[in-house]
Amino acid sequence: MALKFLVVDDSVTMRRIVLNSLKQIGHDAFVEAGDGREALGKLQADDGINFIITDWNMPDLTGLDLVKAVRANPKYETIPILMVTTRGMKEDIVEALQAKVNNYIVKPFTPQVLREKIEQIIATPVA
Amino acid sequence: MDQVHNMQSLYEKLSDVNSFFEYGQKLIPTIEKIVDFMKATIPLLENVNNSILDSTSKLPKAALQINSVTNATEVAVTEILDVVDGASSDLTTIISKLESLRTRLDSQKNSIQRLTEKYPDDPDVKDLVANGLNPEVIHEDYSAVISLADKIQVGLMNITISLQVQDITAQQLASANHLMNGIQTKLSSLLFDIGNDGEKETSAEKKVETKGESAFNADARYDRDHNSQALVDSLVADNATQPSQKEIDELFSKK
Repeated sequence: MALKFLVVDDSVTMRRIVLNSLKQIGHDAFVEAGDGREALGKLQADDGINFIITDWNMPDLTGLDLVKAVRANPKYETIPILMVTTRGMKEDIVEALQAKVNNYIVKPFTPQVLREKIEQIIATPVA
Repeated sequence: MDQVHNMQSLYEKLSDVNSFFEYGQKLIPTIEKIVDFMKATIPLLENVNNSILDSTSKLPKAALQINSVTNATEVAVTEILDVVDGASSDLTTIISKLESLRTRLDSQKNSIQRLTEKYPDDPDVKDLVANGLNPEVIHEDYSAVISLADKIQVGLMNITISLQVQDITAQQLASANHLMNGIQTKLSSLLFDIGNDGEKETSAEKKVETKGESAFNADARYDRDHNSQALVDSLVADNATQPSQKEIDELFSKK
């Protein structure tokens, strides 16, 4: 299945690095958003998006709030969500998992880690 | 009888007034000391007030400088990423050209092989094999160049990974700015308390817009030892092995 990513981060630098990493590991379809609210709009406007990569700390609507909003919509109940963030405390990771992110990466990351997590998510059967 | 009683009461009142004046006389030196102390304190309080005012007026400038550092590093990092992307793209082209060169060399190697087999004793053919293109040597050079290109590619990727530091420091700077914003608010209210209302208003006007707390992680760290990722992986694995609500529901419905 071809993946189309929604990459959400308020940092232009980070969005660029995530996109470069995705290109490097063989993905070239993506949409960008600068915060959670913009991401929700882009998600609703584009039915082709089938994978979300989101930061946590963002203005307006945070990544965690975005995950909760996405999961609250039955249409996106099973869409894969990968959180890529600077937050590496145990309670943060647990909170994200409870909000039903599929996997979690702590910045700084390598393209290899990104590939590994995407592959893990895709290989895991939907509950 | 009433007159005697009234006189006695008057005498007592006068005695109270007398005691009050005597107490007042004792108190005067203490009051004088308090007044002297206050006189000495006023310049000190003015100094404190001026210092607070000075610090408060400098905070917006510091906050602006921090914001401009964040913006400047973001622009610089974008420029570096442009260069890295360009170099990476050029390197991909070089590798692709080398691949095509190697294919042509393989074909040439086969031709020379066939030529040698057809004319084993021909001196020109021998000379061509001995002094002309030597595919083996060229293959070695090709491998060396490809290995070097791979090394450069890894180096470029490492630069990209290191550039993530910009996002991490931007969050730390946003946290510092947020803290300074809080200090400015406190100092402004202190100015208000000691009667500098006008200054407080001026200070509030100068306040620099900072990111809300949700927009940054005050604990952001540039840590490449991957300890945090190891913790994540273990928690994600634990989470995956825990039964889902659906599985629990199914289990109970079987009973």
